[in-house]
Amino acid sequence: MATTARPLDEKTPRSPMRPNIASSDIQVPAVRDYEQVDREIIGTLHPTVAWFMALGVAIFFLLIGIGAWCWQIYSGLGVAGYNPPVMWGVYIITFVFWVGIGHAGTLISAILYLFRAGFRTSIYRCAEVMTVFAVMTAGLFPILHLGRPWKFFWLIPYPNWRFIWPQFKSPLIWDVFAILTYLTVSATFLFVGLIPDLAVLRDRERNPVRKRMLSVLSLGWRNSDREWRHFARAYLFLAAFSTPLVLSVHSVVSFDFAMALTPGWHTTIFPPYFVAGAIFSGIGMVFTIIIPLRKFFGLKHYVTINHLDAAAKLALFTSLVVGCAYMSEWFVAWFSGNEFEQSFFANRIWGQWWWASAILYTCNMVLPLSLFSQRLRRNPSWLFILSLTINIGMWFERFVIVVPSLSHEFEPWQWTSYRPTWVDYSILAGSFGWFSMWFLLFIKQLPVVAITEIKEIVPPRLRTRHDHGVGPAGSHLEFEPTTPGEFD
Amino acid sequence: MPGVIGAFHELDSTVHAIEELKKKRLGEVTVYTPTPRHEIEDAIDAGPSGVRKFTLYGGLAGATCGYWIAIWISDYWPLVVGGKPIASWVPYTIFAFEVMVLFGALSTVVGLLINARIPRLTMTVGYDPRFSHGDFGVWVECSPENTAATESLLRESGAAEVRSER
Repeated sequence: MATTARPLDEKTPRSPMRPNIASSDIQVPAVRDYEQVDREIIGTLHPTVAWFMALGVAIFFLLIGIGAWCWQIYSGLGVAGYNPPVMWGVYIITFVFWVGIGHAGTLISAILYLFRAGFRTSIYRCAEVMTVFAVMTAGLFPILHLGRPWKFFWLIPYPNWRFIWPQFKSPLIWDVFAILTYLTVSATFLFVGLIPDLAVLRDRERNPVRKRMLSVLSLGWRNSDREWRHFARAYLFLAAFSTPLVLSVHSVVSFDFAMALTPGWHTTIFPPYFVAGAIFSGIGMVFTIIIPLRKFFGLKHYVTINHLDAAAKLALFTSLVVGCAYMSEWFVAWFSGNEFEQSFFANRIWGQWWWASAILYTCNMVLPLSLFSQRLRRNPSWLFILSLTINIGMWFERFVIVVPSLSHEFEPWQWTSYRPTWVDYSILAGSFGWFSMWFLLFIKQLPVVAITEIKEIVPPRLRTRHDHGVGPAGSHLEFEPTTPGEFD
Repeated sequence: MPGVIGAFHELDSTVHAIEELKKKRLGEVTVYTPTPRHEIEDAIDAGPSGVRKFTLYGGLAGATCGYWIAIWISDYWPLVVGGKPIASWVPYTIFAFEVMVLFGALSTVVGLLINARIPRLTMTVGYDPRFSHGDFGVWVECSPENTAATESLLRESGAAEVRSER
């Protein structure tokens, strides 16, 4: 399924287990056996006072957002700070932000799966859950942005007596289908990966009601060789389908902008630029979530420093790609000789929006360069702080794309400004509350680290002595307590 | 069908038992493992999974359906702009791609359900919750006259527990 875990061949020297490096066969040396995996991961499912408090805070922010939306429905969309020609603002910025966040999950679970990147095993479930809830959150924003949100279903091609059908040449319709497909496929991928873990929970559950629910959800999974064989194949194909989907979804989102003639938007660099930015922001959010989680759930020996190090390299790479895209934008604006484009970029960098551009370039281009230092890549506190700046920087990237373009179009008499209102800020806060609420509910109901995939990388118990650190009695050989990556 | 179930603590004992059972042809073997293992896959040596066909046909159906919906709707209510073709395949490819992925992914799941024979309402004879936890199980569906030989083989291979079930 996830990673190959064949025993090493006879030529391997008889030595204690090697340090937990991302490319090694064994990545979680402090996890000794299958029983430990079950015990420790299932142990994270018991609610704590801190969890209830966090859930309360999330629901509080969600209620603020709901209250603001009710006020907007009652008063009209005008309370949200839109003034012609800036008719896209915080809602579309936040929509693109959350879709972007949703990209890391499928990247980690599908693309890294196809590349056999071993470090994904410990973090992919968390990233997948994040994806599903982030896309759910993103999907709310186009509806929030409608004057009459109850008519959102007009975007779906359903038979109706007035023969009104969607316009399939419109990027907004492509967007609807891209997001819905992405949500469906991501949720399916998450659920399929969860089936064996649900069976583990079912078999250890003592509460009859919960046991029955888990039996239904696990579809009567028995861990038979037949089931595993077809499961592995289905998982591979789902990963193969998800991979181009990841690339296509944010490309389609970028078409919302690139198909328009507005300066700063009408460029062919947008699809790769958006995809790289989405993956970068998603990895940032993975750090924001996984670093506190491994600390508070006691999972530091599952999500080791080496896992964080490998993910940080990915963040650094995507940051460089994004930085390259920013510089290409400037170059193209200068090289094109198009005075509208040049004027727009001058305004973006030195004009009224200089502060937003400064935040963007500092957070997305300058600060991630610190990840060239191995010491900082292996420092969870720094990674957490950096991830927060990446989240902020990526929100401002979308701000800088949306607002400066609309407020500085072709005719000088159109030039204007934009100021979000309390309704915009409340709905933005509500979106974080909505996302956090679902995530917090998930992590106390279902395992946030994939039990069966972790078992794949834990050496099985053997009767005879083996070469990869398993003793004659089936116990693991001791290894150096200072092994890098075992604990931080 | 009656049979014998053997529970193993160790992977190599399980693989040995499977190989011996296949050699002696005592009955149909089903292996329960807490996690997929290549060693067991190699010992069982089953054929390729049929899920791939579902994926292929689902993907093709999705692409066809995606183009068909967009082209049919354009023809049904034509919006002629500048004498250009009513059905424009270039933008429709984006829609067709999304529908292809959607249908392909969902049909893959259907293929998994059909091939793996799930959902299953009741647990089959021989299954033990230990097999999702840490132990390996070998279920041999055999006739009553082979039961004793199968039990003995499983014990010799290192099974921690062997019992007959029906």
